Amino acid sequence: MLRPAHRKISLILIALSIFYLYLSFQLPSFTNTVIDASTMPKALGVGLIILSLILFFSPDKETKEDKEKRIIPKEDLRKIIGVVFMILAYIFLLERLGFLLVSFLFIFFCSLFLGYTKHGVNLIVSILFPLVLYSAFTMLLGISLPSGIIPF
Amino acid sequence: MGSLEGILSGVQLAFSIEGILFVFLGVLAGTLIGMMPGLGPISAIAIMIPLTYNMDPTVALVLMAGVYYGAVFGGSTSSILLNAPGISGTVATSFDGYPMAQRGEAGKALAVAAISSFVGGTVSVVLLMLFAPALSSVAVVFGPPEYFALMVLGLTAISSLSDGSTVKALISAVLGIMAVTIGIDSQTGTTRFTFNNPNLLEGIDFLVVALGLFALSEVCALIINRSQTSKDRKSLGSLKLSKSELKDMSGPVGRQSILGFILGVLPGAGATIASFIGYITEKKLAKKPKEFGKGAVRGVAAPETANNAATSGAFVPLLSLGIPGSGTTAVLLGALLVLDIQPGPLLMGEQPQLFWGVIVSMYVGNLFLLILNLPLIPYIAKILAIPRPLLISLVIMFSMIGVYSISFNTFDLYLLLIFGIIGYLMRLFKFPPAPFILAFILGGMMEESFRQAMTMSNNDLSVFINKPIALGMLIAAFLSFVVPIWQGYYRKKKHAA
Amino acid sequence: MKKFWLSTLALCTGLTLAACGGGENEESNADNNAGDGSWQPEQSIEFVAPSGAGGGWDTTARMAAEGFEEQNIMDEGIGVVNKEGGGGAVGWAYIAGKAENPHHLFVASPPLLLIPLNGQSEYGYEDFTPIANMISDYGAFAVREDAPWDDLNELFDDMKDNPDNITVIGESSPGSMDHIQFIKIAKEAGVDPQSVKYVSAQDGSTMTNLLNGNADVYSTGVTETVEQVRAGEIKVLGVTAEERLEGEVVEDFPTAVEQGIDATFINWRGFFGPPGMTDAQIAYYEEKFQELNDSAHWEDTREKYAWNELYMDSEEYAEFLKEEEKTMQELLDDVNMQEE
Repeated sequence: MLRPAHRKISLILIALSIFYLYLSFQLPSFTNTVIDASTMPKALGVGLIILSLILFFSPDKETKEDKEKRIIPKEDLRKIIGVVFMILAYIFLLERLGFLLVSFLFIFFCSLFLGYTKHGVNLIVSILFPLVLYSAFTMLLGISLPSGIIPF
Repeated sequence: MGSLEGILSGVQLAFSIEGILFVFLGVLAGTLIGMMPGLGPISAIAIMIPLTYNMDPTVALVLMAGVYYGAVFGGSTSSILLNAPGISGTVATSFDGYPMAQRGEAGKALAVAAISSFVGGTVSVVLLMLFAPALSSVAVVFGPPEYFALMVLGLTAISSLSDGSTVKALISAVLGIMAVTIGIDSQTGTTRFTFNNPNLLEGIDFLVVALGLFALSEVCALIINRSQTSKDRKSLGSLKLSKSELKDMSGPVGRQSILGFILGVLPGAGATIASFIGYITEKKLAKKPKEFGKGAVRGVAAPETANNAATSGAFVPLLSLGIPGSGTTAVLLGALLVLDIQPGPLLMGEQPQLFWGVIVSMYVGNLFLLILNLPLIPYIAKILAIPRPLLISLVIMFSMIGVYSISFNTFDLYLLLIFGIIGYLMRLFKFPPAPFILAFILGGMMEESFRQAMTMSNNDLSVFINKPIALGMLIAAFLSFVVPIWQGYYRKKKHAA
Repeated sequence: MKKFWLSTLALCTGLTLAACGGGENEESNADNNAGDGSWQPEQSIEFVAPSGAGGGWDTTARMAAEGFEEQNIMDEGIGVVNKEGGGGAVGWAYIAGKAENPHHLFVASPPLLLIPLNGQSEYGYEDFTPIANMISDYGAFAVREDAPWDDLNELFDDMKDNPDNITVIGESSPGSMDHIQFIKIAKEAGVDPQSVKYVSAQDGSTMTNLLNGNADVYSTGVTETVEQVRAGEIKVLGVTAEERLEGEVVEDFPTAVEQGIDATFINWRGFFGPPGMTDAQIAYYEEKFQELNDSAHWEDTREKYAWNELYMDSEEYAEFLKEEEKTMQELLDDVNMQEE
């Protein structure tokens, strides 16, 4: 029954709309507004449930090819998760270590991780690109990016 | 005639050495700033303000106008090459621009964008010159009922923005409106769905959603999809458009120059809505609508013409009424006040040289943009020849700095990542992201204008029927939603019979 | 060399770079009269504008930074940083996290009172150290030229009878500036605050909606109305200042007070520091801001932006804010439309 992917998704969406509706009903109502803050969210929540139900009962039109596309080889999945973690590290460190250093580390190691082997080119790009961006932002545009531990 | 003298003095100013120099600098800075995701026309103008303090007011306005339309002109580059729309006006450009680039026709896509932008920009300046005074009254006609109708009309595009399941497209759109309800509700001041997080009070920024759903999810796809090797590098930068392609784009460019301009005149509508409506109307008019979304030349030409035409249109309410119709023109208005220019109904009469000088300089500016951009295209297009792993790292960093530079808040970066993952999942399960972003842009305005209209009319729905413009657009919206469904049903029946 | 280049650039553009120490070491002897000498900044100073580029807070911060730089008032460089979000809440949370580090100041105005009172920020003015108020703006209430009202009293009388027929429009959402300034004056005139039909339009369409008749009254700042008044499209029924303003056009705007409605609304703007600043630190900044306030350069800036002078030192400021907060709280209670 839950085999086709669209049915699983439809159930997830229904759960989401119930949560959203629950929050909508928590919203305060106001005496002197005609259309309340919660009116449209309620309509959206109900609308999403109806659409999800239609999706649930619609026939499975996916071809085999479509399904195969969704199967991600383990190796690729590992790559995506790795990149996601590197992005998290980038965000976490951006204001702590500063734009230049973090961007250098990110570009260099992310490219390396994704299988780029020309280390020399990688090193040059990962130093130059952030440097050019940083100077363009701070000097030409007057937008200060976090300088962090590099003292300029 | 006073206005003829005014135009002449404007021409004189626009063609003075100073005028030409600053138009050039303005469009150069604008187009470069516009190419960076995150830095749109608003930041471009804000950045220029301090530079203009001691300038002659007209020259300063010429410079800032150049920065403005230059940024819109340059905004298409990252949409086409990296699927990373930097401003909302270029989201629609990525629908067909990116597939073209994927096909190895990056140079061609950029050339189409540049030419359409040029024509859209130039034609609309002609319209601006001829009709600015007359159109100023049109700009004032639109109130909440009309805006509501316009937003609804824009949203009917959802059905035409997906080539797969209509249900999935609608779900995607509902999710988009849900995302935009997060934040302080403008009509009551209460907070909605913020979970007491101050970072969510002002809602989610458009750029976070656009770069997440489009650029980051594309990055995920690039990581996995190794089968595609680097494209034919020679063809990447080729600008050559065949005669049939030029002919193909002439229709959309002509129509959207006018439609985009009119939509640009309306305060609050602006380049974004113009580009979407431009895209949709051309898809409806096309003989082969199926090609849209897969790299159609018309699909790039239409939104690019429309958004640049709309930019000139935005100068109508600004210069002839002193009414800023968008965030960007509001910042521009602020900058003008500092220079002792008071745009308003009297500006044209009191300072004709300034009024016409700026308008005439826009012709020069658009020409500069074309001359600047075309020769650069082969080099810019080569960005795609950067080895895949390095390109991925750079796009990720570029997107993050784009988002960071608008709010300087790392919270937005986490959101960006979340939208990237959502975008990738949507891709896997074939939920189109375009309706999501369209609904995200239009949904908020639709709710706001509906509630404004209802409050103003004391809860009387007839406001939407009594106003002919609103009624007309609602009927058009209804037809454009129902007719395709009915046609589809009818066709099926025929097949079955 | 690099430092010299940078500070020249900063001077030219008025946009200073964070962490650029300025290059005026040779002048430090002549300039060594900081405060009572007991505290000096140890690093470059950061002005935070809790909004995006281009708005009122941002302009004030950038102009003040430029003024300090141009007049060589401070030895340290000043960088302007935007912390956008939550109508200011994100920037305030950022400064609250800088407790005991008096190198981070921020610009604030009435939303610093209103937003916490509306429950939209966990930090309020009491969490910060008021340093100096610099300028003020006032609100204006405009109607179409052909509107049936010629002064505020006519408008308010009509409003008492038919509140449903009069739409007031403003930029900000209910419970913030444009709404509250109107409520404050209207309430004094005897209008029931709850009955005021207020619509917020945040997409820049406020003036349009006044002109095309969708709204009847526009609650906004004085400068926003000037051009349309000059063109004879609208008229200003009243401004929220104590006395008539100076300058062409605006000098003709009657105040609410002179129409017998004894209420004003000041859109003040000044600088605050993080929590826990010492008296010596406050004294240092007070003196610097006073010096800026008295400079001809700052006078030019005020004139350029049509700001009014309103200087208050730390103590006065704190007192003033306390009073203001009480008033705001009352007004918000009055308009509280939330159903329990």
